[in-house]
Amino acid sequence: MGKADQMMDICLLAGEIMLTYGAETYRVEETLERMAKAADLKNVHSFVTTTGIFISFEEEDRGDIMQMIRIDDRYYDLNKVTLVNQVSREFVIGSITADEAYHQLRRIALSPMNYPIWLIHLASGIAGGGFSYLFGGGVKDTLPAFLAGVTASILLIEVERYLRVKFFAEFIAAFTGGAVAIALVYFGIGTNLNQIIIGTLMPLVPGVPLTNAVRDLMSGDLLAGVSRGAEATITSLSIATGIALAISLFL
Amino acid sequence: MIIELVVCFFATVSFGIIFGVPRNALFLGGGIGVLAWTIFRLLSDYGVTAIFATSIASITAATLAHFLARKFRIPATAFTIPGIIPLVPGSKAYYTMLAFVDGDYLGGLELGIETMLHAGGIAAGIVFAIAIFSFGKGIGHRYEAGR
Repeated sequence: MGKADQMMDICLLAGEIMLTYGAETYRVEETLERMAKAADLKNVHSFVTTTGIFISFEEEDRGDIMQMIRIDDRYYDLNKVTLVNQVSREFVIGSITADEAYHQLRRIALSPMNYPIWLIHLASGIAGGGFSYLFGGGVKDTLPAFLAGVTASILLIEVERYLRVKFFAEFIAAFTGGAVAIALVYFGIGTNLNQIIIGTLMPLVPGVPLTNAVRDLMSGDLLAGVSRGAEATITSLSIATGIALAISLFL
Repeated sequence: MIIELVVCFFATVSFGIIFGVPRNALFLGGGIGVLAWTIFRLLSDYGVTAIFATSIASITAATLAHFLARKFRIPATAFTIPGIIPLVPGSKAYYTMLAFVDGDYLGGLELGIETMLHAGGIAAGIVFAIAIFSFGKGIGHRYEAGR
């Protein structure tokens, strides 16, 4: 396997991990270009959108080679992005070889998520309870918001695992979270329904896509910025529809 | 106020966990979130409009996030997310949706525009921080310095 082919594998793997786990487009482009240039490849270009990566470079006496890869799934694990960043930095300054970089990237790709799934559910609950308090709910409202937040988080992950439709999972999670909140208030646990529902929905808010969309647009990646913005908008609409349905059905 | 800050810290750290922020950045992120929330609340208490207060808080949080990102060599997003999360106009967005569900389209539009302006304030803060941190680096370094 030639050097260029190996670099292609490394670049595509690094880009795939970063983009799948929530890095901004400009970061992926820049990382790939730096790594390829560090390996003495000429005429390096990469074009990254939210759903795919294109990269081309010139290998001596073989001409240009170009490949693309498609990114289907998007999750959030900024720890993996950080780790890939670290590997690329070490590769660029020359403290690890291409082989080592590839093995480290493989390990990152195969490693489990940074935090166990129960901790993520728990965190959703705490965030739900905390935000219901911050947005003006009383201390009594934190418990129902906690319970509804945990329910929403579990449904979000489980529904997506089986149905593999992100927006539908968000819709179901918002609907159930809202229904649980309404039920808890109906049974007398908690008083301010609005604050409880707001707290429940906060963990579903598309924070990473929104900030990334702004960053992408600002750095001139208009295509990626607009597509990420669209993703965030559709997520918000799914949440809004889910909660609206719960309210109009049960209130 | 103290209880509020403690609650804000835990809520922000929880958000960090949901988005898989690296362990060593988790509590710093919580700190940024608390700072953003404090600025937002203090400015609001002194009669500054909510949108302006949001942008000031967002600018502070995002600038600090970039500074820490450079220091710890961690992508800036890992710090920006917890920093801006307490500012997200969740309640406004919810009431917008509620107004539309009730058929109060005019009220809904009014609230919707306010929500958009709020989000715009947050975005402006992030943009401002990028502008500061990519200042004077030339075309070759169009993007944030991470090295």
